[in-house]
Amino acid sequence: MDLPEIVRPRDLADAVRLTGEGGKPLVGGTDLFVRLRKGAERPPFLVYVGELPELRGIHETEGGVEIGAAATHVEILSAPATAQLPILRLALATIGSPALRHMGTLGGNVVNASPAGDGLVPLYLLGAQVNVVGPARERSLPVEEFVLGPGRTALQPGELIRSLTIPLPRDGAHPYFRKVGRRQALLIAVASLGALVWVEDGAVREARLALGSVAPTVLRPREVERALVGRPLTVEALAELRDALSSAVRPISDLRASADYRRRVSGNLLLDLSSLASG
Amino acid sequence: MTRRSGGESDPIVGTPVPRLDAEAKVRGEARYADDLAFAGMVHVKTIRSERPHARIVRLDLSGVESAPGVVGIATVADIPGENIVPIIYRDMPLLAAGVVRYVGEPLALVAAETRDAAREAAARARVAYEDLPAVFDPRDALAHGAPPIARPDAADEGNAFNHMVIRKGDVAQGFAQADVIVEGEYEVGYQEHAYLEPQGVVAVPEDGGMTVYGTLQCPFYVQNAVANVLGLPLARVRIVQTCTGGGFGGKEDVPSHLAALAAVVAWKLRRPAKLVLDRSEDIATTSKRHPGSIRYRTGARRDGTLTAVEVEFYYNAGAYQTLSSAVLWRGLVHAPGPYRIPNVKVDAYSVATNTVPCGAFRGFGSPQVIFAHESQMDELARRLGMDPLELRAKNALRVGDETATGQVLTESVGLGACLAKAREISRWEEVQAEVAAFNRRERFKRRGVGVSTVMYGVGMGAKAPLLDKAGAYLKLEADGSVTLAVGTTEMGQGAETVLVQIAADGLGVPVGMVRVAPVDTSRVPDSGPTVASRTTTVQGMAVLDAARRLRLRIEDAVRAILGCPTFTVAGHRFCHPQDPARSVSFAEVARWMWTRNWDMGVTGWAEGKPVDWDPATGHGNAYFVYSYACHIALVEVDLLTGETRVNRFWAVHDSGRIVNPATARGQVIGGIAQGIGYALMEELPSRDGRILAPSFTSYHIPTARDVPAGIAVAFVEAPYSGGPFGAKGLGEVPLMASHAAVANAVSSATGGRLRAYPAIPERVLDLVAKGA
Ligand SMILES: Cc1cc2nc3c(=O)[nH]c(=O)nc-3n(C[C@H](O)[C@H](O)[C@H](O)COP(=O)(O)OP(=O)(O)OC[C@H]3O[C@@H](n4cnc5c(N)ncnc54)[C@H](O)[C@@H]3O)c2cc1C
Repeated sequence: MDLPEIVRPRDLADAVRLTGEGGKPLVGGTDLFVRLRKGAERPPFLVYVGELPELRGIHETEGGVEIGAAATHVEILSAPATAQLPILRLALATIGSPALRHMGTLGGNVVNASPAGDGLVPLYLLGAQVNVVGPARERSLPVEEFVLGPGRTALQPGELIRSLTIPLPRDGAHPYFRKVGRRQALLIAVASLGALVWVEDGAVREARLALGSVAPTVLRPREVERALVGRPLTVEALAELRDALSSAVRPISDLRASADYRRRVSGNLLLDLSSLASG
Repeated sequence: MTRRSGGESDPIVGTPVPRLDAEAKVRGEARYADDLAFAGMVHVKTIRSERPHARIVRLDLSGVESAPGVVGIATVADIPGENIVPIIYRDMPLLAAGVVRYVGEPLALVAAETRDAAREAAARARVAYEDLPAVFDPRDALAHGAPPIARPDAADEGNAFNHMVIRKGDVAQGFAQADVIVEGEYEVGYQEHAYLEPQGVVAVPEDGGMTVYGTLQCPFYVQNAVANVLGLPLARVRIVQTCTGGGFGGKEDVPSHLAALAAVVAWKLRRPAKLVLDRSEDIATTSKRHPGSIRYRTGARRDGTLTAVEVEFYYNAGAYQTLSSAVLWRGLVHAPGPYRIPNVKVDAYSVATNTVPCGAFRGFGSPQVIFAHESQMDELARRLGMDPLELRAKNALRVGDETATGQVLTESVGLGACLAKAREISRWEEVQAEVAAFNRRERFKRRGVGVSTVMYGVGMGAKAPLLDKAGAYLKLEADGSVTLAVGTTEMGQGAETVLVQIAADGLGVPVGMVRVAPVDTSRVPDSGPTVASRTTTVQGMAVLDAARRLRLRIEDAVRAILGCPTFTVAGHRFCHPQDPARSVSFAEVARWMWTRNWDMGVTGWAEGKPVDWDPATGHGNAYFVYSYACHIALVEVDLLTGETRVNRFWAVHDSGRIVNPATARGQVIGGIAQGIGYALMEELPSRDGRILAPSFTSYHIPTARDVPAGIAVAFVEAPYSGGPFGAKGLGEVPLMASHAAVANAVSSATGGRLRAYPAIPERVLDLVAKGA
């Protein structure tokens, strides 16, 4: 494969300028190189942003954690600051394989905007903000507004993600993440369900759900979330909402699974939240 | 002199000698086909058919020839010899002439200074096709009025490449005697070899002939194909195997085609020519396991005694014969399973379709029918309320029994011992109880255990007895080290280590003194292919033959040196029997022989014991000996998602004497991994003869996490008189047994019956729904 030239920017401003000239940002390359090899993209040159200090580092902020866009999955998994975000760790630990998690980044996962993106599921659950730098200004938008569709984001030409700000959830959230497919690693989800559930006096006080691979983007089924409130986390109570969840998703059929299977499994996974009651 | 024991040196056969090829591979020093480079070398890319069945109206290569970096092109007109890749039949052209029969069939070749330039140039080919009616499914291909695909010279009839039978006893009567009859239809798709190293060869014109280096299993097949397309005498074509990163049968016949393509370019341009496939071209255009449809019917008495088996199966061969007749024949012989069955009727068909030719894959036509016969045994056990291990033990072949092909087994049948050992090491009763307790306790998970038993005919069998031979050359060097040349190949299975152990034991030297030369067709006689789990047995016998001959010469020298008709051996020294102080080392003996101009090179030779076959009835001594195995798998199914994981595995094998318990164990674990893939996840969908996603993104093979940590491997060794030190074959057997045990475990866990591979979550969820 003939790779386009890879340019190392001097600093963040230089990176923004080079990106504005049509350069494609590159960090781990675990998505980008696959696309280049397929000929899905032919950028004139690549801008390696993996070493820019502004894009690195993971630290606590007031009420949250800020994660540099170029932080790798392994760095995020082992950073003390993310101990407060078990749902993030649960999800990132399922990405690819050890090699992939050493190379790949959360920023890359977000820009890739795959409906199967395992990093996106916890970001949707936690209401993360995407901090973007561009030639004119910095802006910040919720991840749900940042991701527009499969492979499509709100990034404008010349813009880069600098970091992600993740607010800490209220205390007491039970985290749940489950990814479905035909093997245990190196797996693109056929369907996934992430959840944060708060239980009080045996009943759900608040529930957030996010599903991967069952719609053009990661999906928050808000009606089902609301319907969960007040119910016990029993199989029987959850089963009453199974069909509602199955009809909230909008899956497609592809080589990996049929739409029907994805719909069935989405509903079924809801029952698995009963495991949180004992945990 | 036969086997020595004790005294001189400890036996090496039977010990876990570390793999001799491991260090170079781990260090990254091993040189694979794509690592080779020669001065002036060009890179070749194949221009391939885009249509499944079409007449070629026009092949315009002007854009290809004028592309940057292009050195030259080659078409049918540039083939100096015959435009045929000879395999079993002579039906497959090297380059399509006039008609294409599958998507990906080679049309022409382009050579360029770089691989990228060659690829880009190839994309500029303009081909005008006139489509012909195409068929993709064997049933359609055999239907009345189907368009002809098979070339008449390769077909038994119409699009049926082959129809083969076994007729034993009277199945109507056998089913009449049965108290219970089970019946099922089973479907399996492609399996891709997924060897680590893709296909690759480099053809180098030299000395008025051609030398080809490549990743390959069967150097003598390649020699034959290259000589045929170049019109050269075999003596002018030399094939050298490069370090080979896996084969599994995928490098049995395919390298013949690729080497011949590269050789045509090298011959025309008078430059070395490299042809290496990338992964997607490899998956899309090279052989794979035959998809199969199997209809199976089994009858048994109330006590479990089998009375009759009737099987009809169809394998999708693809557009050309390649190895399909041999694959089908092995499927035919193995279809009844390792059981005593008085009445057997089998009809096997391999069918031409407009798809990529299928070929050899570990198990060679047997895994498909094993899925069926082992599923049937479980269905029978369920219907009879019998323990599945006990049902198998009751019917398992023993010494003195007659197989489905009327062969009386005279020795080395360790099947009963495998079953007993499997029961013991799995703690069969306790495991069942644990599973039942788990299933009562868990709401959304179900466990199941599954058994399978298999037999495997070692060697080529009565379909190709001519190929069951092997030569070896042993050279004692002046310092007492030893060079060994063989005609069969190391492809990752451990053959090199095992053959060196046999040579070292036969000669009475340490393993470290023996080195294997690269496999080169100019060094040793045609030794047949490296397939059919035959290398340890047949090549091993040739090595042992050479070692024994050389040992006789060495002993002559020892007697002359010591001046005494007898001698004793201690450590690696030969001693005078009366005066142990008078002794001579192995190296000193070698030096003595060399200084006296003794002939220090010997050739060994071996062939398999006789076999025979009557194609009209399917009667005969199909193979000279069989290996046996019993596998047990424990799986866990998630009832919410249909996901299945294999938690534990127990594998017991009879492969005769185990030459190297460490490499043997490796083969078994690898075969279990490959079987887990076949049963649970590997799937290669195609539409209209086109493989839709030829990549590992969607073709899932097991990862380390999909293979259980708890695998128990045991060997029961029923020695075989025709193998070195009693060894039979092992290579393919673990894969053959493993997938069926997984399949039966899935059925047991779900309460349904798995009738198609792979058991992906979606299919398992359906089983759960049906089983409930
Ligand atoms: C074998 C394999 C397995 C995988 N398994 C999984 C899996 O299980 N789950 C999963 O979710 N993903 C998986 N992936 C996808 C991929 O590894 C992840 O999405 C990863 O997080 C991408 O990060 P990266 O740094 O490698 O991105 P890159 O490939 O470097 O970049 C991806 C995209 O993001 C852009 N980009 C990167 N950084 C920035 C930035 N700061 N600002 C603007 N644009 C930017 C790039 O231009 C490019 O378009 C897998 C990939 C492979 C090859």
